[in-house]
Amino acid sequence: MSPSTATGRAAGAPAAAPAPRPARPARPGRRRASLAGLWFVLPFAALFAVFLVWPMLAGLWTSFTDRSLASPGADFVGLANWREMLGDSAVWQSLWTTLVFTAISTPPLVAIALAMALLTNRAAAGLGWFLRLSYFAPFLLPVAVVALIWEWMYQPGFGMVNGLLTAAGLAEVAWLTDQNTVLAAIAITTVWWTVGFNFLLYLAALQGIPSYVYEAAALDGAGPWQRFTRITLPLLRRTTGLIVLLQIVASLKLFDQAYIMTNGSGGPGYAARPAIGYIFEAGFTGLRVGYASAISYLLFAVIVAVSLVQFRLFSRKGETA
Amino acid sequence: MRTTHPTAPPAPGRRAFLAGGLAALGLGLAGCGPADTVLSGRRRLRQWNLFTGGDGARMVQMHEDYRREHPDIDFEPATFLWGNPFYTKFAMGAAGGRAFDIATLHVSRIRGMGAGTLIDPVPTDLLAEHGITRDTVLANVWDKCTVDGELYAIPLDTHLVVTYYNREVCERAGVLQADGTLTPTSGEDAFFDVLAAVREVTGQYGIAMDTTQPWRQFWSLYRQLGGEMTFDGDLVMDDDKALRSLDFLRRVSAEGLAPKASDAPGTPANFQNGICGLMWAGNWEIATFADAGMDFGMRPFPDVYGAELGQGDSHCFVLPHRRAPDDAAVAAAVEYAAWMLKHSITWAGGGHTPAYLPVTRGDDYAALEPQSEYRHAAADVQFDPEAWFSGSAAPLQNEANAVMSGVHNGSVTPETALELFKAAARKLLDTPEPV
Amino acid sequence: MSAATRTPRPPRTAPTGPPPAAARPRRLPRPTPGGVLAAVLGVFLAVVWLMPLVWAVLTSLKPEAETTAVPLRWLPLEPTFAAYQAVIERGDLQRWLLNSVVVSVLVTALTLVVCVLAAYAFSKTEFPGRAWLFALFVAGILVPPQALIVPLFDQMSVLGMVDTYWGVALPQVVAPVMVFILKRFFDAIPRDYEEAARLDGAGHLRVLWSVVVPMSGPVLAAVGIFTFVQAWNNFLWPFVATADPALMTVPVGLGTVQGSYGIQYAQEMAAAVLGALPLVAVFLLFQRHVVRGVTDAGLK
Repeated sequence: MSPSTATGRAAGAPAAAPAPRPARPARPGRRRASLAGLWFVLPFAALFAVFLVWPMLAGLWTSFTDRSLASPGADFVGLANWREMLGDSAVWQSLWTTLVFTAISTPPLVAIALAMALLTNRAAAGLGWFLRLSYFAPFLLPVAVVALIWEWMYQPGFGMVNGLLTAAGLAEVAWLTDQNTVLAAIAITTVWWTVGFNFLLYLAALQGIPSYVYEAAALDGAGPWQRFTRITLPLLRRTTGLIVLLQIVASLKLFDQAYIMTNGSGGPGYAARPAIGYIFEAGFTGLRVGYASAISYLLFAVIVAVSLVQFRLFSRKGETA
Repeated sequence: MRTTHPTAPPAPGRRAFLAGGLAALGLGLAGCGPADTVLSGRRRLRQWNLFTGGDGARMVQMHEDYRREHPDIDFEPATFLWGNPFYTKFAMGAAGGRAFDIATLHVSRIRGMGAGTLIDPVPTDLLAEHGITRDTVLANVWDKCTVDGELYAIPLDTHLVVTYYNREVCERAGVLQADGTLTPTSGEDAFFDVLAAVREVTGQYGIAMDTTQPWRQFWSLYRQLGGEMTFDGDLVMDDDKALRSLDFLRRVSAEGLAPKASDAPGTPANFQNGICGLMWAGNWEIATFADAGMDFGMRPFPDVYGAELGQGDSHCFVLPHRRAPDDAAVAAAVEYAAWMLKHSITWAGGGHTPAYLPVTRGDDYAALEPQSEYRHAAADVQFDPEAWFSGSAAPLQNEANAVMSGVHNGSVTPETALELFKAAARKLLDTPEPV
Repeated sequence: MSAATRTPRPPRTAPTGPPPAAARPRRLPRPTPGGVLAAVLGVFLAVVWLMPLVWAVLTSLKPEAETTAVPLRWLPLEPTFAAYQAVIERGDLQRWLLNSVVVSVLVTALTLVVCVLAAYAFSKTEFPGRAWLFALFVAGILVPPQALIVPLFDQMSVLGMVDTYWGVALPQVVAPVMVFILKRFFDAIPRDYEEAARLDGAGHLRVLWSVVVPMSGPVLAAVGIFTFVQAWNNFLWPFVATADPALMTVPVGLGTVQGSYGIQYAQEMAAAVLGALPLVAVFLLFQRHVVRGVTDAGLK
């Protein structure tokens, strides 16, 4: 928030300089309603309607049919898909997988990002660009590149991760082929890949805290830890809330890396098949578009519900802070 | 250190102009086909395949020859990752109706992939003009390509899971015969003795197998025991035989004779780097080791439970359903397929047994090594059970692989794996057929 | 998201607050123990974060046989560019890069045009249904497009847009959050300017182009950069919408199409390095802009 409001002001600032017009006592009415605005909205509205609203409505209808990718047309089957979905353990397993992934990936994605931002903010200015580059660079890699690198690193025998483990005298881990570790392995990869984005948000927020706040606190005799817990963390609260919100929603949409790193198999025991993975599989691999549409709405509802709850919590925190 | 940047809006300079130019370029191209083939006037023929193993190298070699003989065709092959990724793309590409002109497929998947909806019938008259008829290819495979009296696929080969052996390692382990081939074994214990002897030499493991896709091993062993699996209304299978096969997988890893975890790319790597002296894998890996200059041989899948039977399938060519009919494209695709069949001696070099009889009856084929060591097993390849959800990389195999891979690393007992498999298979049986 | 509607708290009121640090003579940072520790920890973390990239680059320089050698070695014994040569000769990657450029530029350009027009309309004009429509778009922010891939693909295949550039690009243009960001920014531009121009007889398009757009450089850059990075790295939708490898973007091509020579790690890593290069290069060149673009748009 802080940078965008900051730049917002910055751009607004020159506007203030060249003599603000004396506010006209009586505006010539409110802006007159005209159709011009409608024309301006039209292109976006058209795309919005065709690629968002329409698939949403059509998909809802499809979920009541036996539509298949392999044949044209479809028959109405009532609630059959929805009933099947509620009794389909694979649906719940994939949702559970998504939730577990969200739960294990979000804390490190927030905590490590914060640590990185604090270190970068604190380290000598000359190091700044290097740290920023190192932490953020992975975020710029296409997911396929990330997956290729990590699949290769996780290889038993000749991969780097196990090489380091054995060099340290530890046992090898069959990262991607053991159903107990595959999701964690994907979470580690995800942290490495995307933490840089959260890091940048934190860094921007940290740099928005004026140094006199700290100086005043230091004069009052607050130690570094106190300054961190009493000043930095509270001032970052809103940024943290935002990052957690963005992160949870992003984690709930897990698919790309899980799909590529398990070669589309979902991993041993389907331990790494997230909700979108199952939707993809039901619809495109299993050809059952109708059934996949029904599951889509379940996930859709979960994501919207989580976003709304979070949004409420996070706004309330903002008000009381 | 504060960076509240009071930036002036950057002037729309050179960069903006460049971006505008690129955008215009993009807009111009977006309506047409892919950016770099727009200007080509030749007939475009897009082939899709799933050959990422050593057999892929043979296909590339054949395609080079094909291109040389067909200068008028702009030939574009594309290789997808074997399994779900390929079949998913196949279905989506065929549903989109414009992605490709011809594709390879497993014969076991023709029904499940929508013969008649996603896959168009092959014009047999056109094929006969090129000399391909039921009389010139393996008749049993030809019949498997036929659904409701219509031919939906052109068979290229049959293939199966076999045993690879590292000659140097096996010699030191004393498991070779006088002629330098692996000593055939009979029975479970005899085979385990061989593995133990090989492990003595490698110091690590005896045999490598893909533990993430145990279905091939499972089905081979299960069929050796005489196990059947049918899906007429309900799943019928032999639990005792299945448990015995699964316990073999558990034991071979638990006793340290095979890695607990070895995935599709890792398995040939583990054979090549000498961690294992033997490997169970499809015959298609042959080219990988031949090209690497390894001294190796091949045998049929060993007789563990009574016969040298191995799980297998057959590759074929299919024509995707077209949104807009295009006879010229179909003719070019059929001509391509016929050309590939006739030149499948190169394909045989990759380990598969060609379906086109004039090739397999020729002297060139008889002279191929080590293909001759397992050739006789190809005639008795064990196809997957019959169901729309069965076949190579089909849901049944995926379910089996997902639950059975735990048997190797000990996270699941054979009993649990079997229960999970049966539950998954029954669920598939209850799933409305999408084709 | 809600920053605009909330009263900024003290640290954020920099322009009106007490004289910021910049007003005082800049202190030279003296190395404190804390600073040194931070630098050491920071560099350590950076090394950990760079290690996979270094490993990928080193692997790409090995001959294929060395890549699976046990025990593993970091440095190639016989460094070679053979893997790069093989990848480039195959030619797929160049095509995917071109596709990525076409798609990302298309998405970015269209997003900017379409969203700026809509944001202007919501910010500066009055028309029937305005509030209702804006509410609808804001609600659209909540819609996770990833959950809609199946219905969307079904619709695209009915429209015959599967395996076309438009099919890949257009759904990515629907980013209601960008309309929201732009509108909030436009709201901050004093109305006097636009009204002066209107009095001079300028139409809306003219006002937008010569008054609003020139004053919105930073936000346009932020939206543009963010959209471009998103489009460049987007996997799921392009993956669903393209089956023809000739139309794939870099992430999709690398993730689905394989070299037909068996798994060759050196080549895979070479392809990964080459595929990652363009955006990393852009980042190195325009580090500041990219960082700001990503944070501004990301912070919604």
